[in-house]
Amino acid sequence: MTNSIRQSFGNTLTKLAKNNKNIFVVNADLKSSLFLNDFAKKFPRRFIECGVAENNAAAVAAGLAQTGKTVFLTSFSCFSPAINWNTIKQSICYNNSNVKIIGSHAGLMSTDLGATHQMLEDLALMRSLPNMEVFSPLDALETEKIIKTVSFSKKPAYIRLVRPPTPNLFDSKFDFTIGKSHILQPGKNVTIIGHGPILEEAFQVQAKLNLDDKYKKISLEIINCSSIKPLDVTTILKSIKKTGHLICLEDHQKNGGLGEAITPLILSNNLSCKFIHLAVDNSFGRSAKTYQELYNYYGIGVDDLLSAVKKYF
Amino acid sequence: MLPFINAHPLQKVSQDFRHDILDMIYKNGGHIGGSLSSIDLINTVYFGNLFNFKKDHFVLSAGHLAPSLYVILANAGYFPKKLLDNYSSLDSILQHHVSRDVPGVEYSSGSLGQGLSFACGLALGDSKSKVICLTSDGEHQEGQIWESLLFAKKYKLKNLINIVDFNQFQIDGPVSQIMPLDNLAAKYIQFGWTVTTIDGHNFNQIISTLKVAKKSDYPNCIIAKTTIGKGISFMENNFKYHDVKNLSEALYNQAKSEL
Repeated sequence: MTNSIRQSFGNTLTKLAKNNKNIFVVNADLKSSLFLNDFAKKFPRRFIECGVAENNAAAVAAGLAQTGKTVFLTSFSCFSPAINWNTIKQSICYNNSNVKIIGSHAGLMSTDLGATHQMLEDLALMRSLPNMEVFSPLDALETEKIIKTVSFSKKPAYIRLVRPPTPNLFDSKFDFTIGKSHILQPGKNVTIIGHGPILEEAFQVQAKLNLDDKYKKISLEIINCSSIKPLDVTTILKSIKKTGHLICLEDHQKNGGLGEAITPLILSNNLSCKFIHLAVDNSFGRSAKTYQELYNYYGIGVDDLLSAVKKYF
Repeated sequence: MLPFINAHPLQKVSQDFRHDILDMIYKNGGHIGGSLSSIDLINTVYFGNLFNFKKDHFVLSAGHLAPSLYVILANAGYFPKKLLDNYSSLDSILQHHVSRDVPGVEYSSGSLGQGLSFACGLALGDSKSKVICLTSDGEHQEGQIWESLLFAKKYKLKNLINIVDFNQFQIDGPVSQIMPLDNLAAKYIQFGWTVTTIDGHNFNQIISTLKVAKKSDYPNCIIAKTTIGKGISFMENNFKYHDVKNLSEALYNQAKSEL
C-alpha cells in the first residue's frame, strides 16, 4: 500500500485549519502540487499567494507570524529553502518566527525533473541554522502526525516532503514526538538508520537476508530518524552499542546529511562501531523514469544496501 | 549651529539625538553616516504624535542604522540610556545591527532587503495598525525589495508606509555610480504605490506627509531626500563615513562643536 506524503500534508493542514483559525499558508505558486487547492478555496483570506518570489514569501511569513499566526511557507525544497536561505536565517530563525517551512519534492524522488529539481542539500542548509527544527517524515501517516505536532509549536521548523506515492511504513500505534526516533524493526546485528521513504529498502534487504542461508541469522535494527534536529541521541547510541554496525541511508548528499549528524555522536562517546554512509556522494542528480533507477545509479538502491550489510559479515 | 529660531521643536530634539549617536559611535564605532541622515525621520515617527507603538509597528529594514533607533528607544524610555555607552560590546544587548533582544525593537535585521517583506507580513496580519518601515536607497538594489513592492500592491496594504532614507551614498560610493536607481519615485508609481518625495530633514514636510500617508488607500512610499552624515561638515556627502571606527579625538571634538 502506498500513499502520497505531500497529499497527506495538504489534507492534514486543511483539516487542522478548520478548527485553528490562526493557521495561514504563504505559498510560492505551488498550491496544486502541495494539495492546497481545498485550503485556498475554504480559507481564501488565510491563503497568501506570493508567486515565484521565495525570499519575499519567507519574510512575509515571518511578519505574519509576528502578528500571532502559525504560518506554513509552502514550496518545493529546491526553491525554499534553496533560494531563500538567508531570508530564512535572518527573518525566520534569528527573529525566531513561528514559520513552518514545507519543502516538497526533496531528493532524487523528484525523478524525471532532474538535477535542478532534485534537492539533495536541504538538510545541510536547515540543520545548520540555530532555532530551526528539522523533520523528514517516513510516509503519509507520519506526515499527518508531524504536521499536527508542529502546528502546536511556536518554533521555526523545516519539513521535508517527497513527490511520489510511497509505501506505508509508520505504525499507527506510535505518535510522533519531536526529538524521538522510532525503531521500526528491532534487530541485533546491524543498525540501519535513515529518514524518509527510502527506509523501505531496509525491509526489502531483511527479506533477502532471510532467504539466504549464509545470512539468514542476521537481523537488522531499522530506525526511523524523522526528527533530524533535534536528534534522538539516546535511541541511536543504544542501538549502535548493541549492534556495533551502523549504516546510514538517505536520499540526500553525504555532505551535511543525517550521516554527518550521527558520526560525531559515535566519536564523542568513544564508541567502537563500523559505519557506512549510503547517500549521494558529491554529485548532481539527473533525470530518469523511476526513482529506483536513480537510487541504483547513485549507489543507494536496495542492492547497494544489501551489499553494505554483507560487507560486515 | 545657530539657536533654533522658528525651528520645529523636533529639530532641537534631533540635534540632541545626533550628540547621542556621535558619542556612542565615538566610543564603539558604527554606521554613522546613515544614522545621522535617518535620525530626523525616525525621530518624527516616534515623537511626532503620529503613531502609537503599543499597537503600530516600526521595522528598521536597514539594520545598520541601529544607532539611530537605539538612541530613539533609549530616549523614549524603552531601556536605560547608559546602555548606549557600550553598544556593540560582548556584554551588551545592543547588537551592532538592530536586534529584537533590545526592548522596543520588533525586527532583527542587518542583511538588506528583507525588512519590507516582513513589514508586508505585519501589515497583512494586523490590518488595523500602521506599519512603518525604514529602508535605505542603496538597499533598493536588492531584488527582494521589488518582490515586496509587487506583494504590497496585490494585497492593497494601505496601512504600510515605507520611508526611504535617500542619502545617495552606499558603502563603496555614490548610489548613482555603484548601481543607479534612476527615477525611484516613477518605479514605485509603476508598482502601484502612492509616492511622495520630501526633504528628509524638514520636519513640517515629514509630519504632513506621514499624516497624508496614514489615510492613503494604497501602500505608501516616502522618498526622503537626506544628507549622509547630516550635521557634521566633514561627514556630509562623504561615503567614507558610511561607518567609522576609531574617530580621532580632534575630529570628535570638531563634530561636537558643529552639532
